[in-house]
Amino acid sequence: MGLVRKQIPQSPEEPAPPSATPDELIRRLDDPDPERRREAALDLDGMPEAVPELLARLGPEQEPRVRDAVLTTLAAHDTEAVAAGLAVHLASDEAGLRTAVAEALATMPRSTPALIPDLLAAPDHDVRVMTAMVLADLPHPDAQSWLARMIDEDPHANVVTAAIDALLPAATAEHVPVLQAAARRFPDDPFLQFTVRSALPRLAGTA
Amino acid sequence: MTAETTHPRVLVVDDAATVRLYHTSLLRDAGFEVAEAANGLEAVEAAMSTPFDLFVVDVNMPKMNGYTCVETLRSEAVGTAAPVLMISTEDRPGDADRAYQAGANLYLVKPVGAERLVRVATMLTAAKGPVA
Repeated sequence: MGLVRKQIPQSPEEPAPPSATPDELIRRLDDPDPERRREAALDLDGMPEAVPELLARLGPEQEPRVRDAVLTTLAAHDTEAVAAGLAVHLASDEAGLRTAVAEALATMPRSTPALIPDLLAAPDHDVRVMTAMVLADLPHPDAQSWLARMIDEDPHANVVTAAIDALLPAATAEHVPVLQAAARRFPDDPFLQFTVRSALPRLAGTA
Repeated sequence: MTAETTHPRVLVVDDAATVRLYHTSLLRDAGFEVAEAANGLEAVEAAMSTPFDLFVVDVNMPKMNGYTCVETLRSEAVGTAAPVLMISTEDRPGDADRAYQAGANLYLVKPVGAERLVRVATMLTAAKGPVA
């Protein structure tokens, strides 16, 4: 358990353990000083009782460094409750928040995959674009399959192009048909046409 | 426009490699000199060392998103007055307003066709001289 581990320094170089109780740390999440909030968020690592409090502050928090600390602590839990609590922010009006959340979800390979089917079906195409960003970095054996499915089935060109961009670094010749099909589905989208046209020669030479 | 060249210098800022390639190819073919940055932070660093005549900036990027990037470009620390064209998949109400509040000159929603991109880039850099 993280709290116990932090109370027993392993070496003289290890930083001093937090002296605050979990309740105190949670109260510090509302401190006017952003640095105090950031430190509190990081010190709440390993304390599952703090997860609801951290999730509740994610939206209102305006300081990027505090928000990043909150996300770091939350992502370390890698539970479905945390993933679901984070995923709602993929629809945020705030670009910094939705991007940071996408990055955090991509570091949660145990819990994020359970959300993917719902995210792929999200009515907001911007959420599906963000889902492609998550899948681009998610270390999961099905990530490529989900991206291929987005390319093959999603009705919105921007989602398809986001999925193509996410898939391309790992794409091989086996993905050529799905890319060609996407190009046929969106003949009037200049970027999608360019992307597929540019990628095909390289993919044709891969195994 | 920079003293070393008659071609307006553009910085394309996008985390998606294919988008950078697309915008860079179109603008180079139209006679612009183009550099690339993969996120807002790289863009700010580039702008602090190199004068650009136009920034083409995405919104959703890791490390520093497009709005923060543009705000930083307009801040005292960088202080560029060069035009900024933001291009995003976002078309919610208020997205364009946020771009303009950050300091962008124009906000377009993807996809942006070749002719439109070149036309807009030419218009925004027109005060700096003709595109070859």
